[in-house]
Parts: sequence; structure tokens; C-alpha cells
Amino acid sequence: MTPDRPLLAVQEALRKCFPVVEEQQGLWQSAVRDCQPLLASLGSLAEQLQAAHSLRWEELPALRAFPDLKERLRRKQLAAGDAVLDQLGEKLATLLKVRDTVSRQVERVFQIYEQHADIVGIDVVLQPSAVSPSVADMLEWLQDIERHYRSSYLKRKYLLSSIQWGDLANIQALPKAWDRISKDEHQDLVRDILLNVSFFLEE
Amino acid sequence: MAPEFGPLPEGPLLKLLPSDSKDRGTQRCRLGPAALRALGAHLGSAVKISLPDGGSCLCTAWPRRDGADGFVQLDPQCVTPEATVGFRGSLSLSRLLVVPCPPLRRLTVWPVLREPAGAPGAPNPAAVLEAAQELLRNRPVSLGHVVTAPPGAPGPVAALRIVGGTPSPEVAGLVTPRTRIGFSVEPPSEAESQSEVLLGGLSEAADSLRELLRLPLRYPRALAALGLAVPRGVLLVGPPGVGKTQLVRTVAREAGAELLAVGGPALQGTRPGETEENVRRVFQRAQELASRGPSLLFLDELDALCPRRGSAHRAPESRTVAQMLTLLDGINGDREVVVVGATNRPDALDPALRRPGRFDREIVIGTPTVEQRKAILQVVTSKMPISSRVDLGLLAEMTIGYVGADLTALCREAAMHALLHSEKIQEKPIIDETDFLEAFKKIQPSSFRSVIGLMDIKPIDWEEIGGLEDVKLKLKQSIEWPLKFPWEFVRMGLTQPKGVLLYGPPGCAKTTLVRALATSCRCSFVSVSGADLFSPFVGDSEKALSQVFRQARANTPAIVFLDEIDSILGARSISKTGCDVQERVISVLLNELDGVGLKTIERRGSKSTQQGKYKELKQNEAVFFREVFNRSVMIVAATNRPDTLDDALLRPGRLDKVIYIPPPDIKGRLSILKVCTKTMPVGPDVSLEKLAAETCFFSGADLRNLCKEAALLALQENGLEATTVEEEHFLKSLETIKPSLSQKDLTLYENLFKKGFSNLEDI
Repeated sequence: MTPDRPLLAVQEALRKCFPVVEEQQGLWQSAVRDCQPLLASLGSLAEQLQAAHSLRWEELPALRAFPDLKERLRRKQLAAGDAVLDQLGEKLATLLKVRDTVSRQVERVFQIYEQHADIVGIDVVLQPSAVSPSVADMLEWLQDIERHYRSSYLKRKYLLSSIQWGDLANIQALPKAWDRISKDEHQDLVRDILLNVSFFLEE
Repeated sequence: MAPEFGPLPEGPLLKLLPSDSKDRGTQRCRLGPAALRALGAHLGSAVKISLPDGGSCLCTAWPRRDGADGFVQLDPQCVTPEATVGFRGSLSLSRLLVVPCPPLRRLTVWPVLREPAGAPGAPNPAAVLEAAQELLRNRPVSLGHVVTAPPGAPGPVAALRIVGGTPSPEVAGLVTPRTRIGFSVEPPSEAESQSEVLLGGLSEAADSLRELLRLPLRYPRALAALGLAVPRGVLLVGPPGVGKTQLVRTVAREAGAELLAVGGPALQGTRPGETEENVRRVFQRAQELASRGPSLLFLDELDALCPRRGSAHRAPESRTVAQMLTLLDGINGDREVVVVGATNRPDALDPALRRPGRFDREIVIGTPTVEQRKAILQVVTSKMPISSRVDLGLLAEMTIGYVGADLTALCREAAMHALLHSEKIQEKPIIDETDFLEAFKKIQPSSFRSVIGLMDIKPIDWEEIGGLEDVKLKLKQSIEWPLKFPWEFVRMGLTQPKGVLLYGPPGCAKTTLVRALATSCRCSFVSVSGADLFSPFVGDSEKALSQVFRQARANTPAIVFLDEIDSILGARSISKTGCDVQERVISVLLNELDGVGLKTIERRGSKSTQQGKYKELKQNEAVFFREVFNRSVMIVAATNRPDTLDDALLRPGRLDKVIYIPPPDIKGRLSILKVCTKTMPVGPDVSLEKLAAETCFFSGADLRNLCKEAALLALQENGLEATTVEEEHFLKSLETIKPSLSQKDLTLYENLFKKGFSNLEDI
């Protein structure tokens, strides 16, 4: 068998994978963006809780008529917080789905490569052409993309799971922390890679 | 394709470069296309690399971005524990091997957890498992290797050690999403002992600590049957740099105990109650560690955290002390963690801390003795390439007063010197004696750095002092000989003299003699004057003098020189009105010369040698013997007016050797003149003998003045082109210069200590 057919098979798999990645990237970005206002509202709820907690209820004569007001207010605030947390959980689930989809696709491509690796040989995969980067580069980029999603998801998950109503200062710092995660990682990684393979995909 | 088993013959060299930052955590090893071809690898195949410094690293093969051959970049995420990937040098291609990497069905790991910064408490196993799965996903691993988490990654797991798996990843195995990961029950045995930092000279203290840690583990039932509560607190006392922290680290590592080290000042907080909270948190963490295995809590600089309670201004510290006391031995019952505290100032600690149940044992680690210094030097230089001619015993003798930290610094300076001054820049220069001697000039012992009265003495030889041969002999006998020939002294039943008093008319070379003495005996030399001692605050002078002696004792053999002692101390007498200070200083000096004993914190060596008799010492080696014999400090005092000194000072046992420095006789004057005119161009007709005969009652200073005047006269007469000093210049200056001594003074001095017992016949 000439090295051509297996090579074509690998290239075909790559061509199928990248559009999926593009689509998932869109989903990921929107989910991350949607979390921002939710976190902001959590922050303000935490501020309200803090204020209610530090208020000296006994000293306000007007409110003496409502003995259980403090408890009721707190309950309401916590309920609102829980609703926000539920929404955040949904967003996180979306991120998880994106991550898993990408992982599956990348795994499939690598499987196909493994099948044909011996026949294709090393020199051909290192060879870039005018309109397409080398197969080695593309496989490497897929690995990088997968790692990016996995680590990003993990960091965001840890951040959201650190939310505790006992630690209000932490909650107020959440929006900034969320942004910092985005800033620390290479934000345009996926976009740059997709640009690199755009010619290849059009073939 | 190339064979997968067995090393290839020495392949081409690949230069080892550090990996790109974006490759961190990827476990990739970047090779050039020729290398990939030679190895027969395809993208992502597992490659095992045996590192030149030992250990091995498992990576996946990927091509280099620039396609250049001859270089290799490694990401050391999965390495054996002893591997050190230094990014220098080169690897031969034969060190890289493509290994088969079958998918694993099961994998057993031992997690190394990160210390949680915020929330205390052990992380729950589910979270740890999840973190482990995430870390190991799609990685090739190998038995015995450690997979470290990349630095930015969150989660409780810092590293994972691969303990076993199915099929066993002896060579390599791939962790897939379907692999089941489990934790091993017990930690893997540390078969390879990491480079043990041995302790030089601290074996007694180390034994004590080790016993405390191991006893409850080895004999729990025996202890329970005896109804014993094992002692759990140790206080290490000693000057800075002596090895307290090092000792604790080594013992903890040997016993396999977890060490939690906290600096006392690090626990201080700004808000009221924050310090106590920090202390509680530390103890809680230690308690958690103790529940998992033997553990040690090390509190450094304890006197900063727990000073004495009682004064009004120190209420915050008192609360901290109280908290510490309850934590160590309070209502909450037995604690399981061993607490070790270290301090330089044990007297500043609250006394309630120093009782059994809290700090049960106190170990005093003093400045090392000669034996201990030798041991320390042996340990420090064990890893250094020292030439065989370097005698560590000699070095140990020369390093009087050096503590462990100083000796380490000394060896480091010697190594630097060898590195910078070796003729060819080789990989491994050899360190020899000259390097050490050079290093000596730079490193001063730390206990000696802050001594009051440390002087730079211009060295002077005995021969440069004219005449006074018998005085020189007496001085040498009293001071130099006991240092050099201790066993002869002991054989004759002699002890070392405590003090020497030099008295005589002014200008007769007393101070110069002491300079020559300091140059010839190589011991620590401290010179104290009134300016150093006296201060407007009450009690300062006594403290200063006491400190001088304490520091001198830490650096024995030492000579303390008290010049013009009659101005520092007078005599204690009732008629004196002011000058209480002098009385107190005298009492301090008398105590230091001949007191009851040493303070316990000044103890050096092991306690047993302290109390040994001299007879036992004969069985030991000469060096050790000399060290013990020369344990005390020698005092040399010089004065013009010995009659004003306190009688108690002059009794035998204190300043027992009293040496009179007479003004020079004719022979002495001749030799002084010879010394003075050595550097002067003296005319051929100058007769020094005649001069000596004519200069009666001239002291040494007078004679020197005479020569100087003669030279100045010569310059004056012949203009500035004068070349020689003639006889007439000397004679002319003789006319102008008169002797400073008179017969009356001399008889006073000579009769001073010749008081007869004629007035005691009635007793």
C-alpha cells in the first residue's frame, strides 16, 4: 500500500475534526461570557448578606414590630443565591460538554493516526506543504487545544466549587478571579490555530 | 525500523536545551527529524531517556518546531525521584529509547498532597482521586517515576508516585480514560536514601531527638504498660549558626517524620488575637499530620514568640505565651506531636515553658570543640574535591571559635577561590591548602564579629624588641608554652596561669611586648580599654566586661588585654567618694577570673567531658587534650601604677604572674638603638655603644625619640638632600633630650612587690 492512502485518511480525519473544534469554541466562549453577570449578581448578593449581618437589628425601633425579619431576609437572599448558583451549574455543565466533545474528537484523530503510523512513516508527517501545515504540527495543535480546554475547565470548576456562603469576601472577589483565569491562559490559542489551518480546511 | 530493545552504540550527541514554556506540562521531548528516524519513533511514542546525572525521564517524542537536528528539549514531568534535569551538557542518542507503552487497566499511585493554603483539614479522597485522574490522563507513566503537577494547576495534588499497575508499567504504560486509578495504602519505601546531610559533632543532641521520635513508634505497648507519657518537647539552646535547624531537619528526615517548620516571628499578627489564632492553626495542622504518622513541629526563634510574661507593656505577648502554654500541655490532654523549639536566649523565655510536659528536655549546643569542628569539616567537605594534602585536623585547630555556619562559609570561600584561580578552567578544580588559607582571611568567626575590643594588630616579632630577654622568656613561659606543650605542664602538675600583670615605668615596651605575644601565639586577641567599658548607664560597664569574657570563652584559647588597667579599675576602698562603677567593674573582673563556674548556656562539647578529670584526658588524643586544657581565657594587664590596684586582683590565682619591665640596661639600650637605627642611614662614625653608655635612665621610648631627633637635625642642617645621620647629630640631640625616668621612680617600682613580713611578727 502506498503511503498515500493512509496519509489521506489521516488528513481526512483532521479535516473533520477542526470544524467541530470551531463550533465548540463558540459554545465555550459564550458560556464563559454568560457566567460573568451571574458572578456579578452573586457578588452583590454577598454584599447584601454582609450588610444584613453587620446591621444591629435591635437598635432600629421601626423594625421591632417584625421580629423574624432578619431570618426571613437572610433566607430570601440565600434562596436568590442558590438560584444563581444553579444557573452557574448549568453553564459549567455546558463547559463540560464542550470539553468532552473536543476530547472525543481528538482521541479519534489520534487513533486513526496510530493505526496508520507505521505505514505512513515519519518523514511524510513532518513535511509541510504550501497550503497545509505538516500533519505533525496539526496533531500537536489538537493536543494543545484539548489540554487548554481541560485545564481551563478544571480551574473554573475549582473556582466555582470554592463558593461557600460562609466566606463572603471570597464570593465578592469571584468576578475578578474568573477574569483572571481567562487572562492567565492563552486566550487566542484556539483562534490562532484555526487560522493556521484555514487553508487546509478549504481544500 | 531500529530495534526497540538494547542500547544503540554511542550515537551522535544531542545538545540538551531547556524546554519551551508552552511545552510545560506536556511531557514532550522535542527531537530533530534525523533523531526521530534513527529511533524509529512516530509522533507521540513513549521515549525513555536515561539522564547523565542519574535517574530517567519518560517523555513522548515530538518533532522540533524548527526542524533542527542535534538538539533535544525535555519536559521533565515524569522523572525518577533522584533525577536532576540540569539543562546543560549533551545527551548521546543512545540514551534515548523508544519503549512499548501498552494501555493500563489499573494503576496504583501514592499522592503527594499540596499544603492547603486556606482551608485546613485533609482533602477528601474523592477530590484527590479526581485530581489524580485529571493529571494522569493520556500520559505514559513508568514504575517508580513521579509525575509532578504543572505549577499553575489547581487542586490538592502536588505529585503522584507510580507504585504499581496492571499490566505492570515496569518500562512504561499508558493511562487512558478507562484506566482505574487507586491509591496505595502505605507510602512507597524510600529505597534510595536521598543525599543524607550528616551532622558533624551533634551526635548527642541528634540521639536525644531521635529517641523522642522513635520511642513511641517502636515500643508503644511497653510504654503503655509502664504507664508512661513519652516526653514530647525539646528545647534547643545555642548561639546562632551552630546547627539547630539543621539538626531538626536531619533527624526528621531520618526518622521519616513529617516536619512542619515555623518561624516564631512569622506567626505574629497585627490584629489582636491574630497571633493566637495563627498559633492554634499551626498546632492543629501539626496534630493532623501527627495522626497520619510521626511528625515534628519546629518553632524557630521561640524567644521572639514567647517572652517572659509580667510586665505591663507586654500584654499581647503574654496572651501568646498563655495560648502556647495551653496548647502544649493544657486541658486538651496529650498531644501526639513532638514540638522542638530553638532559641539563642533561653533566659528570655517564659519559665513556665521550661518544665516537663512542655519542653521536657533542654539540649545546649555550644560552640563546637576541636573534635566537633573536625567532624563538621569532614561532613562539609565530603562532597567537595579536596586535595589529599589538606589536613582537616589542622584546619580544625586553626578555626577557633567557628561555628557550623562559619565552617560552611569557609569551605565555600575556599571552593570559590579554587574555582576562580585555577590555572585552566576545568570542570572540577581541586581545592587545596592555599585556598583554605585565603578563605581564612575573609571569614571571621561569627561569635567573634561583634566582640568589643577586636583590634587589628600590626604584627611584630620578638626580635624587634631590643633587650628584655628574661622578660620575654618569662612571658613565653607563662603564655605560649601552656598553649603549645600542654601535656608537659600537666605532667608537672601545673595549671594554666590565669593572668599576667606587666608593670614598669612608662615607655618601656609593655604594650609592644603584648603585641609580640599576640603575634606569636595564634589565639583570639581582644583588647579592652576604658572607652569600651564605661558608659553613662548604670550596669552597662559590667555587662560589657562580662560580654567580652563570654565571647572570649567561646573562642578559647583567647587573650584579653587590659591596657592601663589602673584607670579602668582602681582599688576598692571606703574613702573613695564617686566611682562606684570602678568597684563594680572590679567585682566583675574578679568573678570572671576566678568564679564558681561557667553559665550552662556557655557549655561546649558534651557534658561528660566537662566534668572529667585531667587523668582521664591522658587517654585521649593530644589535640582534644589541648583543647580541654586551654579552656580558660588568659588575661594580660599592663600598668604604670601597680600600687593603685586592688589587692584582691594581685593574689595568686588571679593575676598571679607579675612581671616587672625594667628600663633597659646598657646592653638593652644598645639593642634598642640597633633596632631603631635599622631603617636609618647611619654614618660610619656613629658609635652606638658610646651612645648607649651615655644614655642612662633613658627608656625605650626616649631612645627612639633620640634617634628621631637626630635624623630630623640631619635633615635640618644639610637641607633636604641629607643622606646620613652623623655622630654630631646624635650628640646634639642628646643635649636637648632628657631622660623621662629618675632614680626615685625606679626605686619605687623596684621595691613595690618586695614588702617584707616584718610587720606580721605579732600574728
